[in-house]
Order: sequence, then structure tokens, then C-alpha cells
Amino acid sequence: MIFDAYIQSLLVFTGINIIAAFSFYVPFKTGQVSLGQAGFMGVGAYAAGIITVKFGLPYPLGLLFAGLVSGVVGVCVGFPALRIRGIYLLLLTLGFAQIVQVVALTWDYTGAHDGFQGIPYQEYTIFYVYGTIVILLLFFSRLERSSLGRAMLSIHEDEEAAEVMGIDVVRTKLFAFGVGALIAGIAGAMFAHYTTYVDSRTFNILLGVEILMFAVVGGVTTYWGPILGAAFLTLLPEGLRGIRDLMELIPVSATDAIPYGNPIYDWMYEFLDFENEKRLIAYGLILIAMMILRPQGLLTRRTVRRLKFWKRDLASARS
Amino acid sequence: MPAAENHIALRVERVSKRFGGFYALRDVNLEVRQGDIHAIIGPNGAGKTTMFNILSGILTPDQGQIIFEGHDLGKLKPYRRTELGMARTFQNIRLFEHMTVLENVMVGEHGKAFSSLWNAFHKAVLYRPFSRVVEEQRMRDRAMELLGFAALADRHDADADDLSYGERRLLELTRALAIEPSLLLLDEPAAGMNPQETDSLNQYIKRIRDKGVTIVLVEHDMNLVMDISDRITVLSFGEKIAEGMPHEIQADPAVVEAYLGSEETL
Repeated sequence: MIFDAYIQSLLVFTGINIIAAFSFYVPFKTGQVSLGQAGFMGVGAYAAGIITVKFGLPYPLGLLFAGLVSGVVGVCVGFPALRIRGIYLLLLTLGFAQIVQVVALTWDYTGAHDGFQGIPYQEYTIFYVYGTIVILLLFFSRLERSSLGRAMLSIHEDEEAAEVMGIDVVRTKLFAFGVGALIAGIAGAMFAHYTTYVDSRTFNILLGVEILMFAVVGGVTTYWGPILGAAFLTLLPEGLRGIRDLMELIPVSATDAIPYGNPIYDWMYEFLDFENEKRLIAYGLILIAMMILRPQGLLTRRTVRRLKFWKRDLASARS
Repeated sequence: MPAAENHIALRVERVSKRFGGFYALRDVNLEVRQGDIHAIIGPNGAGKTTMFNILSGILTPDQGQIIFEGHDLGKLKPYRRTELGMARTFQNIRLFEHMTVLENVMVGEHGKAFSSLWNAFHKAVLYRPFSRVVEEQRMRDRAMELLGFAALADRHDADADDLSYGERRLLELTRALAIEPSLLLLDEPAAGMNPQETDSLNQYIKRIRDKGVTIVLVEHDMNLVMDISDRITVLSFGEKIAEGMPHEIQADPAVVEAYLGSEETL
């Protein structure tokens, strides 16, 4: 491998989070907010595990099957989701994620409360992950400049006006929800084959919230947003931990020399360790700050368009 | 007479709609002739907007039939009506605010692009990527042409919510025209416009009619209505009280009666 193990696992989890954030982005394009993407990841993880462990089929087939099963489940969940929106849709998707957890906890076939063990480790996960991201990016960039993509956006903007423009709202929304679930399923399958073990708590409600965070912080109106959000929020705690490692290089004599140097050092050292609870608190704070300062997310369609113009102007100025 | 039948674009037969105990429309008949500008007027609460929502499929009538170019619209969903060639605008302009002017118009071209989503997915992603690029370019050119027609071409890259009020009205109209409708429903197109803007709207609507589009409009601006309409239907408290040419309507005692006491005058 080119990277050391730590960097590689960091890149893999960042990539999986990016794919998961994409799975939130697609239904959101039609105005559907889902907290249940973690549930679809769970469906995908278990589906792929069954294919590879129980039937002994190869990894790529497991990924395909995971996407397929999750996509079909997505369409089934999407049907009741069509009639409701806003807070009720959030609750419905949350309920779905909960059901997946309970099934995972009680289904003996996949180990029930012992978890699904012995899922084969996929050495080349990193290539599958980033390959998938590239394919999705190509798909999204085509979608952006297609009738289907515009139809999805227009439904987000004004469902009734979109329908009057001749758009089959029901079918488009179902399609978006299904594609979102499919993408989440693939992300879940990749996760399972990297960690080799999943159980009912792996794909919990908090993960659903995190996926929403990735997309919302990055910006959900352009496909670059989820990438930025997922990468930023996944790497942030690691970056802070890196600063902590650097702090260890500071000689004790240096902190001794400063008044209150040692308590400040200790506090900083403690603070920079971003394990679970603290990370979630930080997420909460970031989300609050985002909603006040930039509710549309870091990147929007408008900023992306401006960047493109800027690049073009720069190119024309040079020639 | 079957010969006359061919000239009727839209026929509304004994349509009723009730909200609770209140009749928004009661047994209304309406015939719109091909190529006409047909105005529906009446005092506030007469049922004009209800009629529009029933025509475009947002509401379903409790009773009665709507026949559009030989198709019984029944409970057909709005997008199916659009596919048959029916377009509408809204009283309170409803643009796709965070999409560009050009994209707004191109949404109107949706039905022209393909008939099924699967087809689109199939073609766009799996098989013929380059022909889609060509089609996209063709739709873009067509949309730009329409924007030129409305003198909005130089604003094509702006977001819809950056436009001025008059421009927004024009854009909504242009978006509806992108459907290439044979019947265009305009819900108070001149609302909130100054006399100058109303005048250019007047010209614009006539130009649309001259392209062979049948137009049904609801409007409060009587100068505009009397000037552009070929026929007028007057509603009052959910019932049709008069129908005819503009000069007939102006002379109709029932119409004058309906408008007496309201702040609007003919």
C-alpha cells in the first residue's frame, strides 16, 4: 500500500462518509429530508454480509446486491414518505432506522445481538470507495445539466408549480429516494467489509444525524457540498488530535516558564482529544453556528457557479 | 353541430365545487373557442381562482366534466394535463426561486425532453451520453429564444429571485410558454403591474394568441380585459351570470348589478 495504515483508514472512512452524505443529497434534491440514511447503510451492510459470508459470493457482487436491496427498500419506504414532508418525514425516516436496528438485533441468521461477525476484509476498499465517488460525481454532474436534475430541483422549490410544468412529482421523488437509499446501501456494504464486523448499534440514529450534518454543513444545493462537509467533519477531530501530538513536542521547561503554563497546557491537551461525546458536542455547536451564519451550507450552487465564472474569466484574461 | 365542435378548445360542463357548505362554483358551463382570448371576470370571491385550480387539476370538481380538445380531464393529475398541452401561471407568481432564469424556462421544456424518467436515466447515464448533450443544447437554445421573445435573454444567468416584479411575471409567462401549450391559463397576469408594464403585457398576450394559442385569463384590470378579450364570462358567487363579447358584457344589466357596491367598476 502507498499509505500507512492510519492514513489509509482515515481516507477510507472519509470516503465512506462522503458517499453517505451523497445518499442524503439525492433525496434532498427533491426536498426530502431523511434521517434514516444510517438505516439504509445498515440494510446494505447486512445484505452484502449475507451475500459474501452465507453464500460465499465475491465482494463486487455483494456491493451490487447491497445497493439493489437497499434501493428496493428505499422505494418501499419512499411510498409513505411521498405524502408527508418536513418534521413528519424526519420522524418517518427515523422510525425506519429504528426498525432496521431492531431487526439487526433480533435476527438470528445474522448473529442477532452478537453482531454480524467474520465479514471478509476487503483490502482494496480504498479503491472501491474512491471509484464509487468518481462515478457518483460523473453522474451528478450530468444530472445537474439534465431535465431530470432540473425537475428534481424544481420539486424542491415548489412542488405544485413543478407538477403544473408537466413533471411527474410522485415518480421523481420516489426515484430520488430510491437512488439515495441505493447509495447509502453501497456505503454500508463497504463499511462492513472494511471493519469486518457490524452489529445493531453500528448504524444508529446518531450516524443518521452525522450524515445529515455532513451534507448540511457542506451545502446541499451542490454536489461539492457533501464532499466538503464530510471531509471537513471527518478530518477535523483527527486534525485536532494531530495538534495534540505536536503539543507533546513542547518541552516541559517551556510551559514551566509561562505563568499558569501547565494548567493551560493540560486543559488544551485534554480539550483537543475529540472522542465521541466531545465530537458530538462540537457537531452541535458547529450546526448552531452554521444555522445562524450560513444556513445554506458552506457551498451553494451560486458559489460554485461564481467559481466557474471566475475560472473562465481568469482563463480568458490569460489568453 | 360536429363542425362547431372542432372549434371548441375547452368545454366545462355543469361544474360544481363546494367548500363546506359554501358553493365556490355551482353548475358552471363554459366554452372556450380555439384561438380566442377568453376572460373570466367577477367580483372578489366569485370563484375565478377555484375555476382555474379545477381546470389545471389542483382541485377536483365535486360534479361536472371538463373536456379539453376531446379528452375528458376527469381526475387527471396536473402533469398529465400539461402533457396534453395545457399551461398555467399563478396569481402569486410561483417561480423556482433558487434556479436561474434559464433553468426556470428549461423546466417548462421538461415534457419535450422525454416522456419517462426511466427513459431519461437509461439514455442519459447508460447509453447515449453525447446525444443527450446535443438535446440539452437544443433545449437551451430554444429556451434562450423564448427568453429573447420576452426580452429577458440578457438576464438568463440571474437567479429567479433576483428579478424585478415585472420581469418575474414575464418569466413565469415564458416558462409556461416553454411547454408549447395549445391552451394557456393566466391567473391575474397584470396584478401589481404599473400601466406601462400592463401595456407591454397586453402586447405580449396578443402576440401569444397570434401564434395560435388559446388563452383563458382571470383579471381584475378591466381596461386590459375589455381591450384584449374576444369573449368574456362573468361569475358571481359561484354562478355564471353573463357571457359574451366585451361590448355586450359592458351593457349587461346583470353584470352591472353584480359589480354595484363592490369597489371595482367596469
